[in-house]
Amino acid sequence: MPDCVIQTRELSREYQLGSEHIHALRDVSFAIRRNEYVVIMGPSGSGKSTLLNVIGCLDSPTGGEYWLNGQEVSRMGDLALARVRNREIGFVFQTFNLLPRATALHNVELPLVYGGHSARERRLRATEALARVGLADRMDHRPNELSGGQRQRVAIARALVSRPSILLADEPTGNLDSATSQEIMQVFHRLHADGQTIVLVTHELDIAAHAQRVVTLRDGRIASDERTRSAA
Amino acid sequence: MPFFEAWRLAFRVILSNKLRSFFTLLGIIVSVGFLVAVVAIIQGMNAYVKENIAGAVIGTNAFQVRRTPITIGLLDDEQVRIIQRRPRITRRDAAAVGRALPEARAVALQSGWPTPSSDVRYRNQRVGDVLVFGVTPPYQTVQDYRFTAGTPLTDPDIRERRYVCALGFEVADKLFGNPALAIGRKIRVAGREFTVKGVIAQKGRVLGQSFDGFVLLPLSTFESIYGRRKTTVISVKMNHAEAVAPGMSRAEEAMRLAHRLRPGEENDFTVDKADALVEFWRNLTRVLFTVIPAVVAIGIVVGGIVIMNIMLMSVNERTREIGIRKSLGATRADIRRQFLVEAITLSTLGGALGVAAGWILANIVSYVSPLPARITLWSVAVALTLGAGTGILFGVYPATRAARLDPITALRRE
Repeated sequence: MPDCVIQTRELSREYQLGSEHIHALRDVSFAIRRNEYVVIMGPSGSGKSTLLNVIGCLDSPTGGEYWLNGQEVSRMGDLALARVRNREIGFVFQTFNLLPRATALHNVELPLVYGGHSARERRLRATEALARVGLADRMDHRPNELSGGQRQRVAIARALVSRPSILLADEPTGNLDSATSQEIMQVFHRLHADGQTIVLVTHELDIAAHAQRVVTLRDGRIASDERTRSAA
Repeated sequence: MPFFEAWRLAFRVILSNKLRSFFTLLGIIVSVGFLVAVVAIIQGMNAYVKENIAGAVIGTNAFQVRRTPITIGLLDDEQVRIIQRRPRITRRDAAAVGRALPEARAVALQSGWPTPSSDVRYRNQRVGDVLVFGVTPPYQTVQDYRFTAGTPLTDPDIRERRYVCALGFEVADKLFGNPALAIGRKIRVAGREFTVKGVIAQKGRVLGQSFDGFVLLPLSTFESIYGRRKTTVISVKMNHAEAVAPGMSRAEEAMRLAHRLRPGEENDFTVDKADALVEFWRNLTRVLFTVIPAVVAIGIVVGGIVIMNIMLMSVNERTREIGIRKSLGATRADIRRQFLVEAITLSTLGGALGVAAGWILANIVSYVSPLPARITLWSVAVALTLGAGTGILFGVYPATRAARLDPITALRRE
């Protein structure tokens, strides 16, 4: 497939939970092209978060293949996976996952610290990323001095700062009220307009309406894969 | 993550939990402080014994020819019997040693062990338990005595068996208040009347023991009071330290000739120098130096285990942080380094605080007691190395556990 960022073939993920054997993902095969805006939906337990974690290299598949930018991630070792997480993937969590003791600026700098960038470059790029999400004036605040929406914007800035090939978001508005949710969705919308590839997990239909493509999972399988708008 | 970043992060974590960090480090601080303080005191004592006691007892660059060896501690019965069979050291022996060592600064004969003590009286003033020595004039040279008032004992004093004396500073001070006032006064020693010729400058106290509470009598006068059966000791002072060892072997030869000993026969005298005292002290500290590491090792191990525990707790508390860092691209090595650097920084800080505590302790001890203290550079180096080493040793396990955490499991932890 031309210009694919992500390609999976018969991807599966199984857990052993006590005596129970759980198939979180069964033979998931799909592809995501550059600058696509994909929403993954499905009831809880359908495997949507597991899929996102596998795509984000936080979790490893137990079967099948996963290719990211032409590299077979499913065969990578620990160190290579850490590199991929650092350079190729920006992850936004429902619970923000900011370091509580660090300032917004330092939180955003963190991926660049692990990427081995110089202090000067880190500061420059982190400032730029914070400006992109409209938080240029909140750089020295700690997470507990910021509102929920601001925290999530810091998290988005952190995900963007290493210029990843794909931005992943797991229920990014799950902890926010609807007005703030709209604000955050506007941020995603702008990023997509700037050319960012985005995969977003949600179970809210109005959030899904922002995307070009909605993939619905059920019991670990793709139940439907639809384009919502012709513009792509 | 570069080392500097890890180090800065570690410092921030440690400082944000000051009290906890302190209690974590208590074991290390105490052990290292103990090490530094004890080593400082032992080193101080070593230097002190070498510089002050040895010099004060025998005199610098000096050695003695004695009937009884200078020993500290008990001799067994066999040794005592051998020593009791030895002949006394006589004036003839002293003359023989003097002839064998023409370059010696001074060769003196003095009354030996046991040194009698006596009350010294002036009118209604009295000083008790003053040590009474009978000496020949060169003894005053051997001991480096300087006179604050009056003049030393002389050869005519010995020849004519005069009733004159030289007073230790403390005795003169107690009887007259001012040493100059003592000169020419008549005092009573052992029930007889003596004229004070000189007062010797203060030697000071060593380990609470005064070296100024004595009275010197001409040896001949001393013998007429206490009898001739007392043992005598020959003291020889050389011009410099290097001359002491060859001087001692020549004195030994001269003594063997004088005592008509055949080759192979054992010496019936002892040639000794102050080193015997220093040596005894060294042996004592050698024992301490074998015991201290054991005590310190126990403290360090316990302290290290505490650090390991706290680090494990810290890893547990910060599981989520580790998950976040991993999700942002931290490698296992990054996480391991972060926690290892934290453990090392923590324990090195403990080592540094221990050095400070040891320094303070050593100074307190040397201030409130006569024990001197000298902080040595190597003990500080050992302390800091121990601190850092403990961090490495006991930080590896928690750091490895942190590094091995699965990112997704770590992130889910509340």
